Amino acid sequence: MLDAFSRTVVSADAKTAPVGGSELASLRSYVQDGNKRLDAVNAITSNAYCIVSDAVTGMICENTGLIQAGGNCYPTRRMAACLRDGEIVLRYISYALLAGDASVLDDRCLNGLKETYIALGVPTQSAARAVAIMKSAATALIGQTNSPASGGAKYRKMETTQGDCSALVSEAGSYFDRVIGAIS
Amino acid sequence: MKSVVTTVVTAADAAGRFPSQNDLEAVQGNIQRAAARLEAAEKLAAGLDNVTREAGDACFNKYAYLKQPGEAGDSQVKIDKCYRDLGHYLRLINYCLIVGGTGPLDEWGIAGAREVYRTLGLPTNAYIEALTYTRDRACAPRDMSAQALNEFKSYLDYTINALS
Repeated sequence: MLDAFSRTVVSADAKTAPVGGSELASLRSYVQDGNKRLDAVNAITSNAYCIVSDAVTGMICENTGLIQAGGNCYPTRRMAACLRDGEIVLRYISYALLAGDASVLDDRCLNGLKETYIALGVPTQSAARAVAIMKSAATALIGQTNSPASGGAKYRKMETTQGDCSALVSEAGSYFDRVIGAIS
Repeated sequence: MKSVVTTVVTAADAAGRFPSQNDLEAVQGNIQRAAARLEAAEKLAAGLDNVTREAGDACFNKYAYLKQPGEAGDSQVKIDKCYRDLGHYLRLINYCLIVGGTGPLDEWGIAGAREVYRTLGLPTNAYIEALTYTRDRACAPRDMSAQALNEFKSYLDYTINALS
């Protein structure tokens, strides 16, 4: 497993060169935006249950066949497995966001996930849709772009300092896209 | 690669939980000290060749017998390899300063070093002398800020202790 710092070190070692100059710039921005990053991770972890359950129910609402007999979220035992998987994916995304590097997500979650889903008969299209809903919820919470209109009864704004966190929003979004790309 | 973040994530993953407040605080502590580390890494990277040369010269000055026939530095090729190795150690220290932990030194420098040096008949004293010279030569604020120097010297000491 690597983080943003060890990723730089590993690629510098391949060239037997020290890390200096321009490579330090991206690490300095990680350090400078360190508190923003921790707030972003906190935004995901604090709302994990809400993000996951909304994504899974949203996925089912769009495709109600899933909870009819023979559907992949029927009976509750299988829907519970679905909720559990949503939480696992979100957890590894929160690790990747904390580390600033996708290696933990790749190695421990995505490696072989598609093959497992195919073997178990899980519809990867629906799974990808649930991840996409998690993406929009998580990025809205991190970037504070959520509104009462989109959040409804579950609307919540994180109590963090206002500022530009577009870089973190797109970084977090890229991890969700990575999951979607890996299973579809 | 062991670092504060990977240690925290490994522990959280083993417990199957999201990163907790404790984890975030641990990472925050690492980030707070990062500015000094990155400064030290930058200055070391910029002067790596000079530092290596001075350290190697110091070691051959103290142990002049190393250049005599039959010793570890009796040909230019072997002398060059000594300088190269010192450069490797300093580069690994640069990596440690980046990562904020001893992972790079442990995994790429120290693991197996004792066995290799024994097999090749190399004296570790010479490396210790070179790294000690570097440690005592470096000074703040000429080379880097005091806090950065503190970080740099702690990794030099770690390497010296590992070779002792």
